[in-house]
This record gives sequence, C-alpha cells and structure tokens, in this order.
Amino acid sequence: MSSNLEWEKESSLSGQATSTAHPIHAAPGARARSRLARARGKTGYFFAAIRQHPEFGLGYVIVVGIVLVGLLAPWIAPYSPVTADPSQYLEPPSWQHPMGTDSSGMDILSRVMFAPRIDLTIAILGTLVSAVIGTLLGAVVGYYQSARGLRAISCDAIVRASDVLQAFPVFVFAIALVAIFGQSIQSIIAAIAFVNIPIYLRLTRSQVISVRNTRYVEAAIVCGVGDLTIIRRHVIPNAIAPVLAQLSVNIGFAIILTAALSFVGAGVRAPAPEWGSMIAMGFQNVTTGQWWPSVFPGLALAVTVFGFALVGASIEFLSDPEQRATIVARKGGARPA
Amino acid sequence: MLTNKYQHISPMSRRGFVQGTAAVGGAALLSGGWAREAFAQDRSTTMVIAAPATPQSLDHEFDVSLGTIDSVGALYDNLLGYEKVTDPEDPDARREDISVRADKPYNLALTGKLAEKWELTEDGQTARFWLREGVKSNWGNELTAEDVRWTWVRKLHLTGLGPFQTSVINIKEEDQIKAEGRYVVSFHSPKPSPLLLKQMVNLSNPVYDATKCKEVSSSDDSWARKFLQNESAGFGPYKMKQIVRGQQAVFEAREDYYLGAPFMKTVIMREVPTSAARVSLLERGAVDIAQFLQPLEYVSLKGPGVAVDSVAASFSIWLELNAKMPPFDNPDVRRAINYALPKDEVLKTVYQGLADKQIGCIPKIYPMFNSEFWNYDQDLDKARELLGKAGHGDGFNTSLSYNAGDPAQEQMAILFQTSLKEIGVELQLNKVPAATFYNQVTNRSEPIIFYLDSPWVPDPGYSTQLYFHSKSYVNYSNYTNDKVDALIEQGLQTTDTEERRRVYDEVQKIVMDEVPWGFIAYPRYNLARKADLKGFTYYTSNNLRFQDFHREGA
Repeated sequence: MSSNLEWEKESSLSGQATSTAHPIHAAPGARARSRLARARGKTGYFFAAIRQHPEFGLGYVIVVGIVLVGLLAPWIAPYSPVTADPSQYLEPPSWQHPMGTDSSGMDILSRVMFAPRIDLTIAILGTLVSAVIGTLLGAVVGYYQSARGLRAISCDAIVRASDVLQAFPVFVFAIALVAIFGQSIQSIIAAIAFVNIPIYLRLTRSQVISVRNTRYVEAAIVCGVGDLTIIRRHVIPNAIAPVLAQLSVNIGFAIILTAALSFVGAGVRAPAPEWGSMIAMGFQNVTTGQWWPSVFPGLALAVTVFGFALVGASIEFLSDPEQRATIVARKGGARPA
Repeated sequence: MLTNKYQHISPMSRRGFVQGTAAVGGAALLSGGWAREAFAQDRSTTMVIAAPATPQSLDHEFDVSLGTIDSVGALYDNLLGYEKVTDPEDPDARREDISVRADKPYNLALTGKLAEKWELTEDGQTARFWLREGVKSNWGNELTAEDVRWTWVRKLHLTGLGPFQTSVINIKEEDQIKAEGRYVVSFHSPKPSPLLLKQMVNLSNPVYDATKCKEVSSSDDSWARKFLQNESAGFGPYKMKQIVRGQQAVFEAREDYYLGAPFMKTVIMREVPTSAARVSLLERGAVDIAQFLQPLEYVSLKGPGVAVDSVAASFSIWLELNAKMPPFDNPDVRRAINYALPKDEVLKTVYQGLADKQIGCIPKIYPMFNSEFWNYDQDLDKARELLGKAGHGDGFNTSLSYNAGDPAQEQMAILFQTSLKEIGVELQLNKVPAATFYNQVTNRSEPIIFYLDSPWVPDPGYSTQLYFHSKSYVNYSNYTNDKVDALIEQGLQTTDTEERRRVYDEVQKIVMDEVPWGFIAYPRYNLARKADLKGFTYYTSNNLRFQDFHREGA
C-alpha cells in the first residue's frame, strides 16, 4: 500500500507539468519504470476514486454492461430484432417475451439488446469525430490566439463561425443536416459530429491559451521546434484532460440526440433496433394501455445516458489534481505540493 | 394592522365593500339558474370537433386537406345530392344511396339541393338544371344560373382540380355551360356523358356566389383566389365566423339557409395535432367529435358517453408499384409482390378490423364493382414461382417509401419487409416526412410508395379514369395499357348502364391481372363522438357535414 502511495505521489508530482518531452534524457530502464509507476498510480487513483464515490463504479458497470449486451446481442437475444410476427403483436410482458412485443410483433427485449449496436456506434463515432476535429481546431486557434496577420484573422473567423453554429438550436440543426444529407447512419454521425465540434473547439482553445504561455512551450519555441510539433507534442497532451471528461458526457448527449432524431423520424430507418425509434413506434400505444413498447427502450436509454454521465463525472474527478490530492490525503499519504 | 395604501384610489369603505359584494353575489345566485340554462342551451347547439388540422385554404380548387373538405361541406352547397339510407352495418349512421337504381330516373337516387329539377337529354349529352328561387348566399346575393356558370368557367381557367373535373364530363369550352334563363343552366357535352349528373353531387363542384366573387376580384386576381382562401361565398348552411390557422375555425349556422337552419348553431373545429390528445379530449367530454384516430384508439375508446361509428368507405390504401421502373415493369414481379403481401395480418394488427381487404381496383361500395377478378390471397410459393419466371429467382433489392405522418404505414411497411424477405426481396424502408411525401408520390420517382385515396364520385369510370388511364394526373403507378385507356373512355361516353357494366368489368379484369398496385385494404370511415350526438351521415367524399348532426334529448 505504501509503495502504491509512493507511486501516486511520484505520478502526481510529475503528472501535471509533464510534457511528453519530460523523460527524454532518462535511461531506457528508468523510462520503463516511470511509465509503469504512472500506470499503476493511475489505476490506484481510479480504484480509490471508486471507493470514495461508488456511483462512479455503477457508471462503469452500466457502460460496460451495455457495451457487452450490444456486442453479444446476436448470441444472447432470444429473437430476431427486425422480423415482424403479426401473430404476436402487442403481447404484454410474459415468459415468452419478457418485455412484450410491439405493434408489428417484434420482440422488444431482443430489440432493446440490439439497440446499443446502433446507438453507441452513432454516439461514440459522432462524438469522437467532433472531439478530434474540435480539439485540433481549438488547439490551432488557441495557439495562434495572440498572433497577428492572416493567422489571427483565420483563427478569429473559425471562432466566430463556431459561435454561429452554437447559436442554432442543436436539435433543429441536426434535423436540418439529416434532411440535407439523407436518412442514414452516416448522416446522423455527421450531424452529431457537426453540432458538437464547437464545444470541443472552445474547450480546447481555452485550455491551450493558458498552456501556450507555459515555460516548456516557450522553451520549445526558443529551441526552434516547429509550431505544429509544439501543438502536437506539448500543447494538445497538456490541454486534453477536459476534453476527455467532456467525451463521456457528450456520448450520453449524442445517444439522446440520436434517439430524438429517430423519434421525429429523422433518425435510423425502421425497423432498425434503436431506442428512440422504438419509443416513437410505441408511444401511440401508451394511451391505449400498451405501455411496454415505449417504456422498456426508454428505460434502457435513460440508464445508458446515466451511466455515461457517471463515467464522465469520474473522469472529471480523476483529471482534477485537487481531487486526486484529496484521495491521496484520505489514504494517509502526503498532499503533494 | 394593515394600512390601506390604495384608499385614495378606492374610496369604498369596508362596510360598503361587503354590502356591494353581497348584492352582486345575491344577483348572481338569482340569475344563476337562467345563466346555466342559457349556457346549457348554447352548449347543446354547439359542436366542438378535435381535428388534426384547421383548414389551410377555404378554396377547394387548390386544397383537398381534411380541414378544407369539412369546411367546404359546411360553407357551400351543390346542385344535387343523393338520397340517404340507413347504413346496413351501423344503424346509427346514414349514408348516400349510390347504388344503381333501376326504379329511378337515370338509374340514380338523386335529390334536389340548389337545383329543384333536372334533366339529362336522351342522347346523354346535355344536362339541364332548374334552380330554386330565392336561395341566398352568406353575402345575401340570390342564386342564379350565372353563379353556376361562373363556378364552372372558373374551373376552366384555373389550374387546380378544375381541369380534371371538367374533362371527365367533356367540358372544354366556356360556351358548353349556358345560363338559359335567370334560374336555368345547362351543360353540354359533345359526347354522351354518364357523369353529367353525378358530377353535380361531387363535393369538388360546389356553387360559388359569383356576384360576391366578381365584386372582390381584381385585374390580377380575376377569379377571387385570394378572397376565397380565407372567406366563403357560397349557399351552404354555415358561414365562416373566424379562422385562426393552427388553432381553430368557427362556423356559424345560417338562419336563412334554404333547407332550414341547422341544429348546430356554432361549430368549432379545434386543431389538436396528436390523436392521443384528441382521444383524451373526447373521453373527458371536452369535445363532441375526435377525428382521425389510430385504429387501436378507436377500438380502445371506452366510457359511457362515447360512441364510435364505423362504416364502409370509398377509401383505399395500396402500394404504387412503379410500372416504368424495373423490375416492376414486369407484370409477373407485380403479381409476385401481391401474392407476398400479408393482407389479412394487416387488417388484423394494423387496422384492428376497421378495414376490409382490398379485393378490387375500385372501391367495393361503388356500383359495378366486381370482386371476381381477385386472386391474390397470400401465397409465398406462387410469389417465388412468379419471381423465378420473371428472371428474379434470387430476389432483388428495392425500397418502399411511406408517410411519416401515418403510423399505420410504418407498421404495414415492417410487415411487408418481413414477408417480402421470404421471397428474396430485400425492402429498404424510407420514412418520408409528411410535408414531402406527396411530392414523392406525384413525382413518381419511387419504385414502391404507399398511397391512400378515394375517388369521390361513386362511378367506375371516374375511379378508373383517375388511377389507370395513362394520361391521368393521379396515375402514380405509371401504368399504361392502350386497351384500358380505350375502354375507360368508352365507358365514359355511354349512359347505357349494362354497356358500362360490361366495359368496366373488362377494365377491372385487365387491371387486376396486370396489378399496377400492391393491393392492401379498404379502410373504413370511423367517427368517434359523444353518444348523444346523432345524425352522422357518410359521404363518398369522406367528410363531415355539420348540418347532419343534432343532439339527442336537446
């Protein structure tokens, strides 16, 4: 335990200010030990954080569980998720159909199990694309914030353009994009990516503006390292933490957006198993007493988004040095300076 | 103690206030009975309808939306109508007698409306109408032959529904419509026309108040299009009191209506976009009628004060199989699709029994409908065999477009996808927003697309001309057959009932063999209403006529 704490202290002391250039002059063996120590330190923080906040653990269990269900759906789902069986339409929950059937006679449990394959794919890809583009743009814009001439004008233009994008209601904007590019999974991913790019751009830009003025960046500039190399090796790695925390939150948001697009008919094609589309197909039946076609996918959607929100909160927690210091202090270690 | 800072504004003392309040309260109590009675009286003669939408335009020439056709039925009147009979399945409902009536003149059970007398010459080429005298429009102008003439000439000059309505009775020139006197008007067709009288019943052909329309016309709007979008100028039982699109339309009964003032003095059509909300309003007693519910909502409606009428209607829903687009240019492929469609399951699960199997290419309630040519009950082996014969033994990929605004279509599309997969046809489902769905239908650009429609004139010639004549603007399946074209035209040029029956039997036989449609269902016309609201009458134009209703016990 004490050795763990030593690693944690070492990691905590080196972690924040460490750029990727940090161990350049270290011997190969020392570098390996340092990496191992950091890895074990991070794992230690992770489990300590979960012990301190058990809800974070619940978030990871939910996310991992949903991902596993989605991956294993072809083997564990009891029925085909897209085959209608008119002889079984609107059957209430039973042993044969634990979540009942919908108005086309499709098994809701099977569709709920298959849905993460579409929902998570769309949400994760859409979020990653927006994170990559937004982070790169944000890094460049932030790095050249105080530049002059054409670069400054270009950066201002990018920031203003993102302001304009953010001024549109996200949902309406996403519907318009899907309407323009056609109803397909690729279009939804593109729409989700597009509406989220400004978030990452602004988040990264604000971080980069402060990183840009740190000593190690100035040192790299003095050494004659090129701008793009500095951005790639020194700036982005030290500005990425809030982006990582935002990722999980955004995946949850993207799942909701995907479901909402499907609910209004701009999402995936029927009868693809997707939670929003399932809710839309079933909501008409709620008033006539058949609640199960909408309620179960709604619950699955809510639980998944809740899980990603908890994971996002845990990442935010872990990437905050103050919070990590609290963990160290609670475990009896010295608070890092 | 509270100080009265408003005392300088209101000089009334506390005692004065109490005395005043007591006086007002006493007066209210005394008059309460009268007020309640008056309110109850108003309520009994006020009909509130929860409708999916308020009318967009009141000019039927350019708008056939649901709200508009209900409005047209209230604001305007026609020259003729059909006699009414009790519906054979629903004793609470009445319907038009559209059958072939050998005991009646021209084999039609017609009744006079704006025309009190009519004749069709022996050659079947001229129809003459003697108008009622003293009939006033909602603007106070008397009905004359010029109103009827102007109405039909307007159709010739505008590009809405008019050209079709005139062409089916061979009217192409203004001088074919003549005001032969102040109250006599005639229509002359160069060929015999069996539709000359039936067209005068059609909701699409109401009579306008030409005097008012001419008064509001201008050089850039000589046919009063702008005026008629928002106002009415007709001889119907109601006038438009208020229209706030997206909220409500209020109709006020005309006390001077020539057939007597309607029972319902005020009709409020309130826009309630979701069917679940319309159900809820009806169940709570807030509205008298909830229109256009989902089938499951109709069968789930309960409550002592609620009733549902369900009558056979002129509606049909089918798949347009694009006959100009491979592989649907091959009749065997179209036949295979028809054999594969699970029609019985659709009737049971989607329509909850509120539809009948579509077993013909014209509405089954129409005269001369013949069910003998139906041969497409589900048979997947036969479907596979036909696909093999057409050179598609391994199946093919295609798409089906459906209206996002109609949940029933999505349900059917999913059932069809599963069934067609069994014969190797991979169906991609395209959910099309309601706003653009009809553009896709009219563009005829999709291989398969749903279509729900009804030919309003109960006549096989009118129906087949609409959907199967190669030159019709509603032939959305791109079906072309010269022999069918010739037969349809032949049937529209004779008034001999038996000859027409023979001709349209032949048309139905060919069409049912070449199946340009994927036949699905005849949805019924359903009305969810308060139990004490009586008088519902079904028309082949599938609209309500507010003047039919009364409240039992009022």
